[in-house]
Amino acid sequence: MSVIDRSRFDWKSLQSVGEKLGFYGSVAALCLVSFFPIVWIFLTSIKPASQIVQFPVQYLPTEVTLANYQTAINEAPFFRYLVNSAIVAGGTAIVAVLLGALAGYALSRLEFDYKVPVLLIILFSAMLPFFSRLIPLFQLARQTGLLNDYLGLILPYSAFQLPFAVWIFQAYFKELPDSLEEAGLMDGLSRIGVLFRIILPVSAPAMATAAIIVFIYAWNEFLFALTFMTQDSMRTITVGIALYQGEYTFPWATISAAVFLSIVPLILFMVLFQRKIVEGLTASVGKS
Amino acid sequence: MANRGESTGPGTARISGYRSALRARLERYRDLRLSESELATLLLAPVLAFLFVVSFYPILDTVWGSLHTGYILPTRESAFVGLENYARLFADGSFWNALQVSLLYTFISVPVELVLGLAIALLLNRQFKGRYIAQAAILFPWALPTIINARIWAWLFHGQYGVINDLLVRLGVIAEPFAFLAHSDTALAAMIFVTVWKTTSFMALILLAGLSSIPDHLYEAARMDGASRWRQFRDVTLPLLKPTILVALIFRTLPAFQAFGLPFGLAGGGPGEATTTLVLYANDITFTRLSFGQGSAAATVITFIALGISLLYVTTLYEPEVR
Repeated sequence: MSVIDRSRFDWKSLQSVGEKLGFYGSVAALCLVSFFPIVWIFLTSIKPASQIVQFPVQYLPTEVTLANYQTAINEAPFFRYLVNSAIVAGGTAIVAVLLGALAGYALSRLEFDYKVPVLLIILFSAMLPFFSRLIPLFQLARQTGLLNDYLGLILPYSAFQLPFAVWIFQAYFKELPDSLEEAGLMDGLSRIGVLFRIILPVSAPAMATAAIIVFIYAWNEFLFALTFMTQDSMRTITVGIALYQGEYTFPWATISAAVFLSIVPLILFMVLFQRKIVEGLTASVGKS
Repeated sequence: MANRGESTGPGTARISGYRSALRARLERYRDLRLSESELATLLLAPVLAFLFVVSFYPILDTVWGSLHTGYILPTRESAFVGLENYARLFADGSFWNALQVSLLYTFISVPVELVLGLAIALLLNRQFKGRYIAQAAILFPWALPTIINARIWAWLFHGQYGVINDLLVRLGVIAEPFAFLAHSDTALAAMIFVTVWKTTSFMALILLAGLSSIPDHLYEAARMDGASRWRQFRDVTLPLLKPTILVALIFRTLPAFQAFGLPFGLAGGGPGEATTTLVLYANDITFTRLSFGQGSAAATVITFIALGISLLYVTTLYEPEVR
C-alpha cells in the first residue's frame, strides 16, 4: 500500500509548484528592488527630522509629518518647475511627432532615389554625442534670444528625438496594407490627401507611443536644461531638484519631499500609459 | 455707424470675390499631383533642415572651435591656434582620468546590464498573472529622471544614515556605516551600481520586445528535436536576438559614455575626480573654467570615441537579415 502511494506521489506537480514559487519569487524580488528606493524616499519625506538622522535606521515613521513638503514647496517655485517641464516636454513631443510622422511616411511608403543617404544621415545624427552639440547650440540660443525660453529647449530636444520618432513611424507605416492608400487614391485624393486624411488618422497608436517616449526624454533631460535655463523661474523640475541646496546642511528630508512630489506626475503617467509604452517599444524593436 | 449699411454691399462682394479666388487656388492645389520623390523631398525637408541646424552644424562648429582660441567668449574674437587646444587637453592629467572613468563606467555597467536585462527579459517573457505590475516595475526605473535617480541614491548611500549602510550592517557584511560615495574606490562602484539599477530595466524592455518577435514554432521544432532548454537558448534565442542585442547595446553604450546627470547628482564627480566622467570634465572646463577652446577639443574627442564605438558595434554585430 505504502509502496503504491509513493509511486503515485506526484513529483511532477511538486516540481511545478517549486518552479512557480521560484518564478513568482523572482518577479516579487524584481518589483521590490525596483520600487524600494522610491518607497524609501517617501518614508523619509514623511518622517520628522529627528527620525531621519538615526542609526540604526528607523524604518517606519512613528510620527507622520508634512512639514518637509511645506518646506520644499515654500523654498523653491516648485510648481513653476513642474509647469516649465510640462510645457517643454509637451512642446517637444508635438514637434518631434509631427515631423517624425511626415518623414517616417516618406521613408516607408514612397519611392525615391536618395532614400539610403537620408537614412544614413538620420542614423548618423542619432550617434552624435549631445555634449558635442552643446557649445554651438548654446551660442546659437544666446544670439537668437532663446536662452531662458521654452523654444530654446523644445527645438534641440525635438531634433535629438527625431531619429527615434522617424524610426517608430517608419516601422509602423511599413506594416500598413497598400490597399488603404489605393482606396484613397481611387477616391480621387492626392498623395498628400491620402497622407493627411487616411494614414495619419490611423497612425494614432504610433503617435501615442512616440509622443510618450519623447515626452519622458524631454521631461528627464538635464545637461541642456541646466545650461540653457539660467533664470530660476525658467528651470525645469530636474534642474530645480538638482540645484536644491540648504542654507547650512544638506536638507535630505526636504529633498526627499521634493523628489517624491516630482515623481507623482511620473507615476500617474506610468499608470495611464504603461501598456502603451511596452507595446510601442515592443512593436518598434520587433520590426527593426 | 450710418455708413456701415452702405459699405456692406461692395465689401461683401469683394470678400466673396476673394473667396472664390481662394477656392479656385485651393482646387488647383488639390489637383496638384506631386511625384513620389517630390513629395518625399517636401516631407523630409523639415527633418533634414532641423538635423542640419541642430546636429551637423554644431558638430562642425565644435571642431572649428577646437582649433581656435577665445571661442564664444562675449566678443567671439578668436584666433586660429591649430592643435594647441588638443595639446593642452592631452597634457591634462584630469582628461586622462576622466577618460578612464568614462570607459570603466561604460564597459562595466553595459555588459552587466545586458546579462541582467536578458535574465529579466527571459523571466518576464511569458503570460502570467500580474504581468503588468512586473512591467511597471521595470518601466519605473527607466522613466525616472537620471538626476533625480542620482539624488535618491545619494540619500540611500548616505555615509551615516543611509539605508544601504543599515542593511549591510544588519546582514553583517560591514561592521559599521561606510561612506561609499566619499571613498574613491567605492564611489565609482556605487555609481555603476546606481546606473545598473536604473537602466537594466530599459535593456530588459528592449530584449523583451526582441524575444516576443521570435516565432514560437522555432522552439517547438527545437523541442521536437529533443533540444534542452540551454540548447534552445543558445541555438534559437541568442542568434535570433542578435539584432535586438545590437540595438540595445548601442542604445545603452552611447548614453553611458556621455554620462553627466548621474555623476553630477550622485557625488559631484568626486571624491577628488573619482567619478568625473568625460562629459562632466568637458562641461567643467567649458562652463566653469570658461576654456571654450579646450572644451571644444574635449567635445571633439568625445564625438570621435562615440562614433568609434558605434562603428565597432555595427561592424562586429551587424548581419544582413537572415530570415
